[in-house]
Amino acid sequence: MSSSTPDFSKPSPRALLQFYRGQFAAALGFNLAYRGMVALWVLGSVMQPLVLIVVWQTVSEGRDTGMTAGQYAAYFMVSMVVSHMTFIWHMWEFEWRIRSGYFSPLLLRPVHPIHHDICENLSYKFVGLVGIIPAAVLMALIFGADFSGASWRSLIAFAPALLLAMALRFVIEWCLALAAFWMTKVASLNQLFDAFFLFLGGQFAPLGVMPEWIQTLSFALPFRWSIYFPIQVALGNITGADLWIGYGMQPSDRSGRGRVATDVEARGLPTTAVERSHACLHR
Amino acid sequence: MPSPLKIAPTFASAYRTGPIPRRFFLGVVNAAVQFATQMLAITIVFNQTESLGGWSREDLIVLVGVHAIVSGILGMIFSPSISSFLESIRLGTFDFLLTKPVDAQLLASVQSVAPQSTVDGGGSGHYWLWSGTAGAGFGLVVLMFILLLLAGLCMVYSFMLVLASMAFWFVKLDNIMNIFNVMFGNAGTWPITIFPAWLRGMLTFIIPIAFAVTIPAQALTGALTVGNVALTFALAAVFLTASRFFWRFAIRQYTGASA
Amino acid sequence: MPSTPIISVENLGKTYTVPEREAGVKAAVVSLFNRKTRDVQAVRDVSFDIHPGEIVGFLGPNGAGKTTTMKMLSGLLHPTAGNASVLGFTPWERDRAYLGQMTLIMGQRNQLQWDIPVIDSYQLFKAIFRISDADYKQRLDELIEWLELQSLINKPARNLSLGERMKCEIAGSLLHQPRVLYLDEPTIGLDISMQRKIREFVAEYNARTGAAVMLTSHYMADVEALCERVIVIHHGTLLYDGDLHGLVSRFSPFKTIAIEFSEPMVANGQLADANDRYGEIVSANDTGWEVRVPKSETAAVASRLLADLPVADLTISEPPIEEVIEQVFATGVET
Repeated sequence: MSSSTPDFSKPSPRALLQFYRGQFAAALGFNLAYRGMVALWVLGSVMQPLVLIVVWQTVSEGRDTGMTAGQYAAYFMVSMVVSHMTFIWHMWEFEWRIRSGYFSPLLLRPVHPIHHDICENLSYKFVGLVGIIPAAVLMALIFGADFSGASWRSLIAFAPALLLAMALRFVIEWCLALAAFWMTKVASLNQLFDAFFLFLGGQFAPLGVMPEWIQTLSFALPFRWSIYFPIQVALGNITGADLWIGYGMQPSDRSGRGRVATDVEARGLPTTAVERSHACLHR
Repeated sequence: MPSPLKIAPTFASAYRTGPIPRRFFLGVVNAAVQFATQMLAITIVFNQTESLGGWSREDLIVLVGVHAIVSGILGMIFSPSISSFLESIRLGTFDFLLTKPVDAQLLASVQSVAPQSTVDGGGSGHYWLWSGTAGAGFGLVVLMFILLLLAGLCMVYSFMLVLASMAFWFVKLDNIMNIFNVMFGNAGTWPITIFPAWLRGMLTFIIPIAFAVTIPAQALTGALTVGNVALTFALAAVFLTASRFFWRFAIRQYTGASA
Repeated sequence: MPSTPIISVENLGKTYTVPEREAGVKAAVVSLFNRKTRDVQAVRDVSFDIHPGEIVGFLGPNGAGKTTTMKMLSGLLHPTAGNASVLGFTPWERDRAYLGQMTLIMGQRNQLQWDIPVIDSYQLFKAIFRISDADYKQRLDELIEWLELQSLINKPARNLSLGERMKCEIAGSLLHQPRVLYLDEPTIGLDISMQRKIREFVAEYNARTGAAVMLTSHYMADVEALCERVIVIHHGTLLYDGDLHGLVSRFSPFKTIAIEFSEPMVANGQLADANDRYGEIVSANDTGWEVRVPKSETAAVASRLLADLPVADLTISEPPIEEVIEQVFATGVET
């Protein structure tokens, strides 16, 4: 056998790129192999916006809530797309990984485990789009979505807003999922988080129809910036200076937490990895 | 290689493990978050309107309370049992169940219990207080409510059983219960009457949410019609019989887990 | 051994803190506020050195601390006491250069991606471990040949049998040519011939690359075939470190004497007396006996047997290692 020892002390973009390509392909393979399951999952993500369109269109019948029926349809349709694209399930997953010992192989590699998770997450989103996009189109047609505010400019502005939202939500929830190394029931935290997205993020209703206190609070928290902001950008409701303020809010909310991620990892996240599951065995 | 698809069922089964008191504690936390979420949702909607398709704020709280009872019962017995059943098909341990001298359908339907879910059902007491209807009417109304609720549960159970029986053909079906929960959790908390006709049909006959939640709730809010009552009991019988037949047909497809 | 050790472990210890609570609802409520915990010492004060090229069997019953030790050495767990140095690194600092030179193979876990062809997983390992194209090709070819993987690598891992998957798993774990191998039950659940194949392969890899191997296995055949040296731990404590045969002579106080009679002999009344006179008669029929005797009396009993009986053949043997180990674990012999 031959040998040439690679130098792991220097980051190698080439190797990382290769890794991403391979891992992404693997994750894609998985999601395609289980496309039936992806389809069911997508069906699940269609349900909430679908129900909410009905609810809010009913509310707006013969009453002025500040938005028309068509605008509600458009809002929840885009909300579905944004929610799908920003979805991350690692609070559940980490709990499972630690319990089942699945973390060990990931921690044995000389690559940070977040890269693996990014690939998995992205591939799920892309495969899911195959279902989400037709569902969105159908939803828009059936419920008469009104996109009069949207334009090619708002669509262009939407792209960075969505990407930043994806990164923001991924980093925050991935870091919170790390709590699984200390706590056993992170999934409960996840439930609370879902509720925050529902109200502070604007998944339940456009923030404009929410009570004042929710609107005010939402400015200071990341949920608005990962769901509501991109939706409104896409619909052409946020332009000019507000747009740039929003772009600014997205990464600033993230960077602080991003630092936590790398710190925690460097200081000892993986070292505690199997301990919990192991401690259970020794009980 | 996990993804949400794979995790969810494992997570669900993990949720059932662990010391029972801690599960109760978490159950209480979950129920509290759930309660707060739904009350907030109702508040937001009724800030904009006085009536949602003919349902008042109080009516809607009753509906959500009924939904909590139904999910509590489903989550306590049927969901965990059906999940275990699906898992046993995948792992091949269903063999053990078949060899027991008890009706396999019964055993598969009640094999595991998640006691923490009683919190969801029991916690629904809050809703009655909030709705202001507590103590408004007892006697026949309550009896009718309970009967309708049972009929509705029979229908949902039948539906779950049919879904689960598909596992005899498609082994990888672990997630189907999660999807059911998502549907039931989202659509079930709103009155069926507000949905457009095509969706209403689906939510009534395909996924019998209307019968499990809306109609029993109507018994309490006084919006019930005789026709609906008769239809509910008749359909409950039809659903139960049909699902029983389907189960017996499906079980013939069982080949054991060869892999 | 003159060379410097590749793995050096000093007073390594690992204590888990586990929550403890009495049964019942009341205790549960109390425990929410006032958590009682108990310390479990999974590994205590374990020291040893392993040199390049050695294959060391790491023995102990379930729960002895083997896996915990291996996980500490592979950088998955932090110890609560002691030091270790492997290839000059402290494992739990998780230096990538260290992770890139070792491998941990667990018989009950897999690293291959379940749903994609094995070869695609290998490609991924190539990127993860930054293996050059030339090295990758050469090593892969070698591994395919040694382990006869040609027909397997284009299938998804889930379509492989347990043994086939293990072979692929091992090949994948060795693509980066680790210098230290931790093998945790690599042959578990495999049939005898597959076990043998894996064993031969590990020996060959060790011979060709000079890698150090630490192996745990419940199959003594693995240990006997591969390991000259064994380390035995029990209840987290090191019981024995040394020659495999030394283990037997050290811990087994008995030897077995087997005799064959020159003519068929019907043992009627004799057998009862025989237990007193010779030792424990393990088996007896009219063609021969097997007697278990305390080690110190072996010679005396042998000569008595030769004198008393029509013996055609007599052999003295150590009891099987498996039996000795079992005895060590059962009685927990103190060193």
